[in-house]
Amino acid sequence: MSTRRVAGTTSGRRATSTRRATPNAQPPTAHDPLTPTASQRKDAARTMRDLRLAAEARRRASASRRHENPLREGLRLERVPDGAVFVLFGATGDLAHRKVVPALYQLWRTHLLPHEFAVVAVGRRPYADDSFRKELRASLDHFSRVLPVDDETWDELASRILYHRGDFADPSMYEALADRVDKLDRDLGTRGNRLFYLATQPSAFAEIIAQLGRVGMDHERHGGGWRRVVIEKPFGRDLESAVRLNREVGKVFRETQVYRIDHYLGKETVRNLLVFRFGNGIFEPIWNRRHIDHVQITVAESIGIEGRGTFYEETGASRDFLQNHLLQLLSLVAMEPPTTFDADALRDEKVKIIRAVPPLTPEQIRQDVVRGQYGSGWAGAQPVPGYRDEPHVDPASETETFIAARLQIDDWRWSGVPFYLRMGKRLPKRATEIAIQFKDVPHQLFRDSATEPEPNLLAMRIQPDEGIMLRFGAKVPGLGIDVRNVTMDFTYGSAFQTDSPDAYETLILDALLGDASLFTRADEVEQAWSIVDPIIDAWAHMPAPDFPNYEAGTWGPEAADDLVARDGRRWRRI
Amino acid sequence: MAASATGGPLNVGQPARPGEPTLRWTSHVTALEDVERELARIWAEPDLMVAVDGETSGRHVAARTSVMNLVVIARQPEVGEHAAGIISRLTGRLPSRTLIVQAADPDGPSWCDARIQALCVLPRRDAPETCSELIFLTSGGEAGRHLSALVSPLLIHDLPVTVWWPGEPQLQGIPALELLESADRMIVDGSRWGGDGLARLRQLAGLYQLFDRLSIRDFALVRQSRWREAIATVFDLPDLLPFLGYLRRISVAYATHDATGNPGTTNVVKPLYHVGWLASRLGLHVLSPMQPAGPTTRPRTRRGHALPGEPPPLHRGLKGRLKGHSGEVAVIIRPVPSPLPAGTTVRVELLAERRGSELRIDITAQADDVHVHTWIDGVQAMDRTFRAPRRNDVDLLGEALEFGGRDRLSMEAITMAASMVETAR
Repeated sequence: MSTRRVAGTTSGRRATSTRRATPNAQPPTAHDPLTPTASQRKDAARTMRDLRLAAEARRRASASRRHENPLREGLRLERVPDGAVFVLFGATGDLAHRKVVPALYQLWRTHLLPHEFAVVAVGRRPYADDSFRKELRASLDHFSRVLPVDDETWDELASRILYHRGDFADPSMYEALADRVDKLDRDLGTRGNRLFYLATQPSAFAEIIAQLGRVGMDHERHGGGWRRVVIEKPFGRDLESAVRLNREVGKVFRETQVYRIDHYLGKETVRNLLVFRFGNGIFEPIWNRRHIDHVQITVAESIGIEGRGTFYEETGASRDFLQNHLLQLLSLVAMEPPTTFDADALRDEKVKIIRAVPPLTPEQIRQDVVRGQYGSGWAGAQPVPGYRDEPHVDPASETETFIAARLQIDDWRWSGVPFYLRMGKRLPKRATEIAIQFKDVPHQLFRDSATEPEPNLLAMRIQPDEGIMLRFGAKVPGLGIDVRNVTMDFTYGSAFQTDSPDAYETLILDALLGDASLFTRADEVEQAWSIVDPIIDAWAHMPAPDFPNYEAGTWGPEAADDLVARDGRRWRRI
Repeated sequence: MAASATGGPLNVGQPARPGEPTLRWTSHVTALEDVERELARIWAEPDLMVAVDGETSGRHVAARTSVMNLVVIARQPEVGEHAAGIISRLTGRLPSRTLIVQAADPDGPSWCDARIQALCVLPRRDAPETCSELIFLTSGGEAGRHLSALVSPLLIHDLPVTVWWPGEPQLQGIPALELLESADRMIVDGSRWGGDGLARLRQLAGLYQLFDRLSIRDFALVRQSRWREAIATVFDLPDLLPFLGYLRRISVAYATHDATGNPGTTNVVKPLYHVGWLASRLGLHVLSPMQPAGPTTRPRTRRGHALPGEPPPLHRGLKGRLKGHSGEVAVIIRPVPSPLPAGTTVRVELLAERRGSELRIDITAQADDVHVHTWIDGVQAMDRTFRAPRRNDVDLLGEALEFGGRDRLSMEAITMAASMVETAR
């Protein structure tokens, strides 16, 4: 069979496969889709319209290239942020000492912070710069990821940390702060770049943001540097307060300037979820309701509330974990592939998933959501008190320390696949895991096997012992056909053996670089509250729960087991 | 069965300390097939238990890392020992299996000798030890000339193969090409090559044509990453970015210890990589390859005699020309006397002219910092310092081993740098 290309066609392969050359072939008609138009023929003269469109396309292309620095290509991993002043509100607090300053130290140690860098630590308590630095240094000995702390490196960073005392509600404090930061800009050459990090009580967020706006510290002027604000969770305590807070933030900062932290998104294995799903060809085709039976997401903590009774009484597991960490993990597991790895493309897909989770009715909440509170028991071979016996906790508290829920995602990919989520304090071990349970084979060939083959399972361990495990059946060596479940196990520790950065290191660096991919957007936060709010409302109208309903050191209340057992499933033993 | 092997488990009673490699096995064989048997024996050894603090039953060492094969071509024993020292200091980043290949007595009869070690690391106190194998493979006679035949049987299948060729790699010989057929990555250090290093640079770039999947990491290029970061940062500023298309001159000064600074006396691979990187990113092409910049003029008396006691001036280095869409770019690579290691970049200067304005950029390195100064029409526009401590071979190798895939930046910078000296000499 002889074939030929149709002259000038833009799709030669298509032409060769569909057109047979014969001496008597008719000339193609004007409406033949395979016929090249005049503008498609390379040798044809272009019309004025073609030329104008081509010129426009070239102009557009050059305009879109205008802001790209070609020297950046391939340098992503080596990038050091622009010089900046890091203004840390709540600098004397627990979060600053445990997480933020150790992360800054680690970034400085690994040369990922700019030379032109200063931290202005804002707090209410009186400190001189030196005494504050000494306190931070002492905290580093407890909380630094890499020990011992290198004193020379710390001294370099510490010399850039300045303490600024003041009350968050005092307008004069912000004026003095603005003057001080302006002076640092001039002295250090930080070019007006400022990152405001709110590591304070959530109740102070709105006040601080309003005051920053009042003194104009939010304002990005041309050539005057960038201004960004990092806000810690919890972002609101219900939908209404989250909307209100978003509105307050929006009055001062544009959404592109706002970085809402959910530190789970900075964890290495959570980031790897995206690589695992979208960087490997073999999983995506089976990542849907046709092949997946159900998904389990577990966040288990062996610790109790660690003296944070006041905080926990106001939040509980639903606000502390379900609204943010659990729903974020769910959205990463279930989201559609984004078109690009750009922050908004990623967050658009995540928010679509959260929108596709239908809010539960009171009746569904009674059936599909389980709450629990731990009583006294044993953890780590030690007797531990029940939640109600913890300091600063109401002895008749109805706050939940455990939550399990069965959620659905109403979209094409996940329709009918249950997502079981659970989180609890004082469970037997600390473990965060996402387990994808695949469907059973349609026909059991090996029924006579001594061990019943279980369906395939893919478990992604977020912490500890980060890694991925795939379970499948294998023939036991021998003359008969006996099948046993075996696992293929990938652990970060043995494959890479490098230290993963702490989530706060990743997130602080990203905020300084202006990459918002791992931060939550206003609509995501509000959408997540719209799932959690009905649950909290329904509980308020239900009879008092039978708390405590699980012993410390166990896997939660029996009702949680019943929740999955009703569907003929069981929680994965972790 | 490993009848000809001597040795076995070692230090098994010694508890490991987190992060520090412990030698758990050492043995010696004299035939290639025995090496394979011996390696299998390590992981099948039922008694390879190590004592663990606080545990009565001990812990079985049975996990080998699943990272890669590393083949080190060390022509001299001291190079092999040096490489082994670097690898052992990678601690947390050990490859699965390392073969350090040395040749000896090339004219004698064929023979083979292998020392096999298992090095284990406890990543954390609560984690199992993970181990890697280190094999010192020395061969003599004809056998030593067939690198691929020596190495291939000992590679762990399905794991990437990295060839690290410290010193002067014989990149054009048949043994090297056969070996690279089965390699995914190659690591070299262009700044350690003899002479000006340019002939070998051309050979290195030629490998990209021969092996379309081979990834090359040159320590000389990797060491300059902070310089690249510093230069790129200048053009992150929206006001300065438009100048990038209008570069007129790239000048790189490098340290020399040679009193004359004549071309060929000092390795210039690193300074040339700056130009190669810039040119490749900006889409420039070579108009005129690098040539000696012309004879130097020594200060003379009125009568034409050299001034007594006056040292001869340094050679002006190499010059060439690039071309981009907005015109020509002059390239100058010149030696300067400096106590820094010979061939080290001392200064990079860029000049751009656009619509009557002139942008000058001056990048210098001092101790652990890289300084960037920029001026527009003589007025200072930006002044930044980047902390850039010099990285040692352990850091560079660790980074190279972690880096997977073909690196476009390296490929284009190396290819461009080579094309600038393609016909120069």
